[in-house]
Amino acid sequence: MSLSDARSTLGVPSLSARWRTVALLLPLAALNTGVFLVPMAYLLRLSFTARTPQGAFVEGSLSLDGYRYVAETPLVHDIFGFTLLFGVLVTALAVVVSVLYAYAAWRAAGGWRALLLGGAVLSLFTTIVVKLFAVVLVFSPRGVLNDALTELGVIASPLLLIDNLAGAVIAQLYIVVPYGVLAVYAVLSTLDDRQVEAALDLGADRPRVFREVVLPHARPGIAVAGIISFTWSVGAYPAPLLLGSGSEQTTAILVSQLLLTDFDWPAAAAVAVVTVAVVLTTLVVGLRRFASGGELLG
Amino acid sequence: MSCLAERRLRRWLFRAVVAALFGLLVLPLAIVVSTAFDASSVVTFPPTALSTRWIGELFRSPTWLRSLLNSLVVASGTTLVSMVVGTTAALALQGYDGRFRTVVVGLAVLPLLVPGVIIGVTLLTFFSRFGLQQSYAALVLAHSLWATPLTFSVMQSAFARFDWRLHEAALDLGASRVKAFRTVVVPELRAGLAVAALVGFIVSLQEFVMALFLSGPDTRTVPVEAWNSLRQSLDPLVSVVSTILLAAVVLLVVSAGALVGLDRFAAET
Repeated sequence: MSLSDARSTLGVPSLSARWRTVALLLPLAALNTGVFLVPMAYLLRLSFTARTPQGAFVEGSLSLDGYRYVAETPLVHDIFGFTLLFGVLVTALAVVVSVLYAYAAWRAAGGWRALLLGGAVLSLFTTIVVKLFAVVLVFSPRGVLNDALTELGVIASPLLLIDNLAGAVIAQLYIVVPYGVLAVYAVLSTLDDRQVEAALDLGADRPRVFREVVLPHARPGIAVAGIISFTWSVGAYPAPLLLGSGSEQTTAILVSQLLLTDFDWPAAAAVAVVTVAVVLTTLVVGLRRFASGGELLG
Repeated sequence: MSCLAERRLRRWLFRAVVAALFGLLVLPLAIVVSTAFDASSVVTFPPTALSTRWIGELFRSPTWLRSLLNSLVVASGTTLVSMVVGTTAALALQGYDGRFRTVVVGLAVLPLLVPGVIIGVTLLTFFSRFGLQQSYAALVLAHSLWATPLTFSVMQSAFARFDWRLHEAALDLGASRVKAFRTVVVPELRAGLAVAALVGFIVSLQEFVMALFLSGPDTRTVPVEAWNSLRQSLDPLVSVVSTILLAAVVLLVVSAGALVGLDRFAAET
């Protein structure tokens, strides 16, 4: 097995070292080609087949049926509009919460820091389904939060926090915020304390240090948090399905419906391709604006 | 004076907000756990009577036992695949920098930038050409797509920390490459390898959206089974499996934290 090989310790990679590198990269190349790139290409091909009422799609056909469906159905436009709005809304909220939380964890001492980080890691590694279940228990009209607020006399009647846009957004935040927190924290943990001390010594107060030292340093982390939140919210499926109402429909929900219920694969593939294109375009444009791409990938 | 008071107020406000966020993040999970130990057959909070009735129920249910087994099989498979792929790729990048590194890392990370539903749907249509849909293999491969970037990144930093002169010394002393790697590199990297394996395992254990599309009646994992029953009603058994999953994750995270320190673990994954 190629695992038993180690890198050459020579300064310039020799020919055999180069072959070793290629051999070591083979498993990754095989996995990501065979299970990701080729299937994605297949999806693209599928989006150009003809629709038929007799089955999933017409084998070997070449047609723009799927894209025509996307372009000509007003409902699909609405769904794309909502999905983008949902993505932007969740991303904005998630980034604010993540920066605040990561900053608090970074500033906290020993035990408190471990507690805050532990909470984020626990939530990160908790399956989405359990988190959604928890959101239902806490935020529903007869749930823990409403019960507590009614009993304390803060509110007269329960707040409607599930089965609507609020529910979908809250649930999606539970999915993306832990990733955002850790992405920002990872960058903050490389910030030199002395830099902050110097700013404080020079007379800046904490909010000013936060704005002028911490935030600029955290930029790459904030970018990663934004990318993760946006990508996953545009592709949101379980959160809006379980905690939204019928009108919180995302393109992901539409894709699964077209594929599994309507058995209309060309349309499903076309919606999926357009969704991926939207995500990737937004990321590329966003990255150009925000930070250099190389920094983020490294 | 008023400036000082204002500063103090601001500090307490900040603490209150962070405490509230922490509460919102963690308390719901605690509430789920507490409902698992309630005797009543509807999910209620606060629990009315303490009981382990539903835990017993769970272990008498063939469907849930089956899904627990499926989750273990898929997570083990994913750990194996993502460890081999992630470790070899991290090893390959040792000593490389610049464009080459960026391209490889980009390729590894790419699947994380495509929504899970899209990957799930794509693999469902693709695998069904080969009759692979609803198989363990489909689930393991799909999960490896997401677990590998993480094992890869953990192993990269583990290799970067390793002092390669030790390896060189072993070679100079006449050890073969295989022997040098096994006896010098692997023991030094034990913590890194364990953390990478844990991360791979957890990613698979908790992944749900791809599994929803790729699993069938015989291969449903715990999150998929929980989702199915959650869509019908609030079943106390969902509280119980949620508690089991949470306990498993806490156990795994604590052991990973003990191996490398929570700080580094949080920063790296």
